[in-house]
Amino acid sequence: MTKRQMYMKMLLSSLLRRRSRMTVALLAIAIGATVLLGMMTITYDIPRQMGREFRSYGANMVFVAAGEEAMLRLTDVAEAAALLPQESLLGVAPYRYEAVRSNMQPYTVAGTSFDQVKKTSPYWNVEGAWPSGENEILIGSDVAEFTRLVPGKTMTISGRDARQRRFNREMTISGVVRTGSVEDGFLFMHLGTLEQLTGKSGEAEVVEVSIAANEAELSALAARIRERVPGVAPRLVKRVTQSETSVLSKLQTLVTLVTLVVLILTMICVATTMMTVVMERRREIGLKKAIGAENRSIVAEFLGEGLCLAILGGLLGVVFGWGFAQTISMNVFGRSISFNFALVPITILTSVAVTAAACFIPVRRATDVEPALVLRGE
Amino acid sequence: MFCQMLKGALMRQKGKLSMIAFTMTLGVSLATAMLGVMMDVGDKVNQELKTYGANLSVVPRATSLLSELYELEAGDGEKDTGDSGAANAQKYLAEDELVKMKMIFWAFNIVDFAPFLETAATVGGQPVTLVGTWFDKHLDLPTGESVDTGMKRLKSWWDVTGEWVRDDEDGAMLGQNLAVKLGLKPGDFFEAATPDGGRRKRLEVRAVVNSGGKEDDQAFVPLRLVQDISNRPGWVQRVDVSALTTPENDLARRAAQDPNSLSRKEWDTWYCTAYISSIAYQIEEVVTGSRAKPVLQVADSEGAILQKTQLLMLLLTVLSLICSALAISNLVTASVMERSSEIGLLKAIGATGAAVALLILTEIVLTSMLGGTAGYFVGLGFAQIIGRTVFGSAIAVKGLVVPLVAILVLLVTLLGSLPAVRMLLSLRPTEVLHGR
Repeated sequence: MTKRQMYMKMLLSSLLRRRSRMTVALLAIAIGATVLLGMMTITYDIPRQMGREFRSYGANMVFVAAGEEAMLRLTDVAEAAALLPQESLLGVAPYRYEAVRSNMQPYTVAGTSFDQVKKTSPYWNVEGAWPSGENEILIGSDVAEFTRLVPGKTMTISGRDARQRRFNREMTISGVVRTGSVEDGFLFMHLGTLEQLTGKSGEAEVVEVSIAANEAELSALAARIRERVPGVAPRLVKRVTQSETSVLSKLQTLVTLVTLVVLILTMICVATTMMTVVMERRREIGLKKAIGAENRSIVAEFLGEGLCLAILGGLLGVVFGWGFAQTISMNVFGRSISFNFALVPITILTSVAVTAAACFIPVRRATDVEPALVLRGE
Repeated sequence: MFCQMLKGALMRQKGKLSMIAFTMTLGVSLATAMLGVMMDVGDKVNQELKTYGANLSVVPRATSLLSELYELEAGDGEKDTGDSGAANAQKYLAEDELVKMKMIFWAFNIVDFAPFLETAATVGGQPVTLVGTWFDKHLDLPTGESVDTGMKRLKSWWDVTGEWVRDDEDGAMLGQNLAVKLGLKPGDFFEAATPDGGRRKRLEVRAVVNSGGKEDDQAFVPLRLVQDISNRPGWVQRVDVSALTTPENDLARRAAQDPNSLSRKEWDTWYCTAYISSIAYQIEEVVTGSRAKPVLQVADSEGAILQKTQLLMLLLTVLSLICSALAISNLVTASVMERSSEIGLLKAIGATGAAVALLILTEIVLTSMLGGTAGYFVGLGFAQIIGRTVFGSAIAVKGLVVPLVAILVLLVTLLGSLPAVRMLLSLRPTEVLHGR
């Protein structure tokens, strides 16, 4: 039997014969690795996940016409929108405003795309339904209160088209929108309907864009659009972008700090458990020394055992940690978490390092003592 | 005899028991810190979200629609000048009533507010919207307290080049686009006139503002200047209020529709909770002829983000508590196993399983309590470090944390010792003493 075979045999039998102790040690390492991987994955993914939540504040970039132009061409807008990263683009909602009258009262009507508005302005509170048909209109809550109109009623819109001819159209009110700001005083209809009424198409005054990106990324995107599409002047909505950056960075610091505290504490817990398990075997160490084992070989044996446990525990931790992070992400954000594979080797290496340190200290202490003293239990 | 044995065991096993106490200290400090942070994170994040600006807009009841439309048609000339006081009372809010907002039930939750009064004016022949407001106003409440409020706090995201205007000087802050259009920079002087040229005022540009919104095309001046120039003394058009609120629930939504539909008890609950609708209701009660509208863009998003953050922290806390509980019970198991030969000996000389279990449990519980107490204080420290680093203010650890942590310690120790005690009861003295 060679030395190596003997070493492997001792290692294996030690692991298998002392099953309950080894389970305890393995469990400790697995818990540590679970927390490590889970918390690191969450910290890594938090800005992306929270960034999406912050999009409920509405558009963070608007397009207006460049230079002296009053209106944006929608073809330019489409060109500019194509420059934005499609996976983080939530919505692009054009708005075109026209002055109209209904029942002799002046109103402002906005033509827009409701599918996009639902994405860029999720905070719109619509009582009734969003307009679906061509002849449906959404009215602001102040207008509804002022005119005492409710969803289902009709209102006649009149005005002048591009060639100064009068138009009249009876529209059905599909719903009432409440936002608490200027939208409450407007009327909203499909951009197509408004274009048909006014006989002028392919234009918008403002385009609201909602992108999941931070302030620096947005500035870079805006610069690119300004350069490539001369007809569009992109502007950041400072209130939204700046506040998002400040709040998000605080949240990230919070989670990072919490992770750090949890990690340090968990690692110490793992180490103390390992130390207890190893300390228990001082008599065994004494016995081995008494029958002629070298300090080095004893340390090697214990470290070998620790290594096996650490790798196994680390792997378990990777699996459970992913579950841990996924559970949190699904419960809090309702989205699955993006997994960073670089964290797998980090987790296993950390488990190995912590376990090795935790084994080494008590083994060194035991091997330094005279075997007789250890065996007598002093 | 029991006490003597306990004392002996505690003294002799100082090393091993101190390991348990140490782990317990760590576990409990983690629990205390996480619970403390979790319970306070709502308030803290709420404060942070105030950077998004006002979540309530107070407007005169009668003209809430017309004033919005009027804003769009600004430039048509000044229609309101010279109206009688009675008519003004319907179209405007009284400036001297605003202080009452800091005296409602939820006064403490009203963080900042600023009134606005707009007027059309011309500068060098160009039409300009002058917005009168409070920049950094000092108010003395009838209750003897005093508050500082105004735009400086409300619009913290503004990018200001120059200095904020003081409320008692003839200064102005110009929106970025307007400043470019008029060719003015901080330190320059300009003359604003009413459209008919009747009244004039010489103002100094104190700062240029970049807000990324419609403010970039406006000029902000102290409120009294606009009141003077447009002959509307003591009146304001709109007040933006930034309030700390509780996320809405079913009750709040029903109350927002119609507060009178609630039962007496529900009404009390609603009135005494910081829902945005109840704060709005209370503002309407004290400011004559006002209507307070929640700005949904801010109010709704705030609720969503608060809930997500709280849920995130709650789950992190629960999971890390489970992990620390497992780690502690693991250690307890390990340390009991280690003492199997001692326990075997006790059993061999006639101790019953129950007596041994009692001895071991008492030992461990005593040690854990010691470790737990130390851990609580260490945890308070951790919570403060987190609070100071992240939010720049101390975390108020609620009293509820103490009983929670105490229950946790007891539960974890007892549950953690369970596998150990089971093993201990099934231990056969001869085998253990043999070392098998």
